[in-house]
Amino acid sequence: MNILLTGVSKGLGLYIAMELLDKGHVVYGLSRTNTEELKALKKVHTKNLNLLQYDLSDYDNIQKVIFKTFLRNVQLHGFINNAAIAYDDIITNAKIERINEMFRVNVYSPINITKYAIRNMILNKISGTIIHISSISVHTGYKGLSMYAASKGALEAFSKNTAREWGSLGIRSNCIVSGFMDTEMSSSLSDEQKNRIYNRTSQKKAVDPKSIASTIEFLITDNACSITGQNIFVDSGTI
Amino acid sequence: MNKDKIANFINEICDEKEYKIIDSNSAEFLNLNLRNDIGFDSFDLAHLTVMIEDEFDVDIFEDGIVLTIGEIIKKLE
Repeated sequence: MNILLTGVSKGLGLYIAMELLDKGHVVYGLSRTNTEELKALKKVHTKNLNLLQYDLSDYDNIQKVIFKTFLRNVQLHGFINNAAIAYDDIITNAKIERINEMFRVNVYSPINITKYAIRNMILNKISGTIIHISSISVHTGYKGLSMYAASKGALEAFSKNTAREWGSLGIRSNCIVSGFMDTEMSSSLSDEQKNRIYNRTSQKKAVDPKSIASTIEFLITDNACSITGQNIFVDSGTI
Repeated sequence: MNKDKIANFINEICDEKEYKIIDSNSAEFLNLNLRNDIGFDSFDLAHLTVMIEDEFDVDIFEDGIVLTIGEIIKKLE
């Protein structure tokens, strides 16, 4: 299967890419930066890993650069929306410019990519799959994450309605609701803060990114053909 | 030329959805309303849009609603 994956260069994106490549899928990965890990992965999967450096805050050029050039003549089976930026602050300090920047990357660009991904699937008569990475912060409040959670909550609503709108054509849309992982995105948290978060989970530990990656690989296959419009929690049992 | 291609795209969808096939040589062809006369729903219109965009690199719905075949042909001129 041909899968478009955003945020491929680090953290969860790398794990997702590795899982998909190991299962024989072809990955079209987008990222703002190139990393040593990504370069190493490309050396192993020269043919099945295709990369494009693209900043998702630029939602105006998505069709031209991503779909008409990078994915030209590619029949897309799936879109995995993993890229995100976090704006972490309490509400009384909210800055609209930073909220705008976050929503451009976390919400507007994924909506625009979904638009063209579904168009690609319609043209090629493919019952494809869309997966958004959401966050447990949508469902369980955390101090400082209200604005980030708002962007992920928007994605969950978008995914549910995408599923409803395109289900009759066999196009599925689901969200993975991820708990806290020990990745770069949470690197600004102190050990004490991290432990407080982990203590709110049944397993008292960070989410294993491999668990999310393998859930995603399952969701894009026909084994998950009846699963759509769902929020699937991979969160160490957050309570 | 464009007229025949558009007719083929429309008829491909009509064939799939078991709507009445249209005749590009008929007098009313350009005035046929995509929804009211041909019976297209929003999914059919989306399908038609992507076929036309793939062939002509034009998004017929980019700057407003298109109602008739004649309006599509005009956008492609």
